[in-house]
Amino acid sequence: MAYIVPSLRETLEDRELYTRSSLSDVTCRQCQARVMVRKNSEHHTSIQWTREAVETCAVFSDLDQREDGRPVHSACPQLVASIEYAVSEGMVTVGAGVDPAGLDRDRRADD
Amino acid sequence: MTETRVLDAGSVPERFARGWHCLGLERDFTDGKPHSVQAFGGKLVVWSDSEGELHVLDGYCRHMGGDLTQGTVKGDEIACPFHDWRWGGDGKCKAIPYAKRVPLRARTQRYESVVRNGMLMIWHDPEGSAADHESLPPVLEGVGTDAYTAWTWNVIEVDNAHCREIIDNVVDMAHFFYIHFAFPTNFRNVFEGDKATQFMESTGRPDMKAEGYGDEDLVLKSEATYFGPSYMINWLDTDYKGFLTKVILINCHIPTGPNSFNLQYGLCVEKPEGVDEATAKYIGDKYAETFEQGFLQDVAIWQNKAPVQNPLLCEEDGPVYQLRRWYEQFYVDQADIEPEMVERFEFEVDTTKANENWRAEVAENLARKEAEDRAAAEAGSAVETADA
Repeated sequence: MAYIVPSLRETLEDRELYTRSSLSDVTCRQCQARVMVRKNSEHHTSIQWTREAVETCAVFSDLDQREDGRPVHSACPQLVASIEYAVSEGMVTVGAGVDPAGLDRDRRADD
Repeated sequence: MTETRVLDAGSVPERFARGWHCLGLERDFTDGKPHSVQAFGGKLVVWSDSEGELHVLDGYCRHMGGDLTQGTVKGDEIACPFHDWRWGGDGKCKAIPYAKRVPLRARTQRYESVVRNGMLMIWHDPEGSAADHESLPPVLEGVGTDAYTAWTWNVIEVDNAHCREIIDNVVDMAHFFYIHFAFPTNFRNVFEGDKATQFMESTGRPDMKAEGYGDEDLVLKSEATYFGPSYMINWLDTDYKGFLTKVILINCHIPTGPNSFNLQYGLCVEKPEGVDEATAKYIGDKYAETFEQGFLQDVAIWQNKAPVQNPLLCEEDGPVYQLRRWYEQFYVDQADIEPEMVERFEFEVDTTKANENWRAEVAENLARKEAEDRAAAEAGSAVETADA
């Protein structure tokens, strides 16, 4: 049972759009961890990890060995560098923002 | 032509989050009396036994529904005010003074509890799982010793909002400017497992200095993590012209109904070197007042806003949908937790455009205030001239 159930079908589409659209595949050049990245702008970054990617990340594995565990907010500098590289190589588009207006267009096209 | 955007209010089933919830400070429950705590659509009774250990049961006697919070602590048990049935901390009826024997089924809802950092935590799970001690918030080194001031504690009742409203704040960069009169310069979120973190750097707003919000010389570094669905630890380091203060703020809540919750917060301050006891307490109390104002500013918004399942976002907003996806893990059966609810997610907000526009707004406000002050001063001197 979901905890708050949307009443509109479009809400589910918005949810898909905001969480899954305009993502680019980036592989860490150090450890091969694969994540999904979106860059709305130069200073914005959104990184979606998977459990496998976290387990693959060498920096995180080291941090996991610490007595009080890995601080959740620690970023992986290797991955940050890999994303910067992917941006510089044009493999991640900067300005790949999301807007439900795109969905409106699709819906109208369906009608 | 663009269609009108519709708010989706959704429907809220009556289910409360799985996880540890804080009921308050240990010190407030140890006077030998039963205490009443509104929680999860009902009422709980809290008392301490002869050893000083705290116990938490459902507030109503399983005999005839008497209110145990109005009962008496007798020995290690809570006695019902209606027929004196005695309930132990393990949830079992230990004695019925007028009966030959206790019925076998005399067992009530018990909440497993732990005192962590001087606070009473209870485990809640609609599925009735055993408490997960791995997911308790961390022990705060030094808190409860001479190095820190004692916890302050306040409760605000919010009677017209789902507690997800306060969770949404984790990703809400812009409200810090408009609601709390701060100026966020860096803003980052990380969600992973049962933790959600907000990392923020901000300064005061120069145009709100007169209202007591500090100015650009007040630099704040804040790291705030939810450990589970309801308990946030916020480490706040402030630097005001070289005077450094370390504050630990607990922001936690208990849902009281499907559309209400009690917001609780407490803080302690690391006593700065060379600062005496009274001054350290004064600093702590001042911070508590500031955060009280802050929470009341939030509450005023929540009490009046519409619930919205489909927020429309701009690029400077934080990851509301991903945060809500994370939060949903506490509201589904453990078997139904989707990988994406707990998988690591990082988000850095670009504050460049916001900062540019806000700087202009602050400058405008300062210029207007100065013009108003000047006009008032001139009007004042005009009156003086007329009087003479």
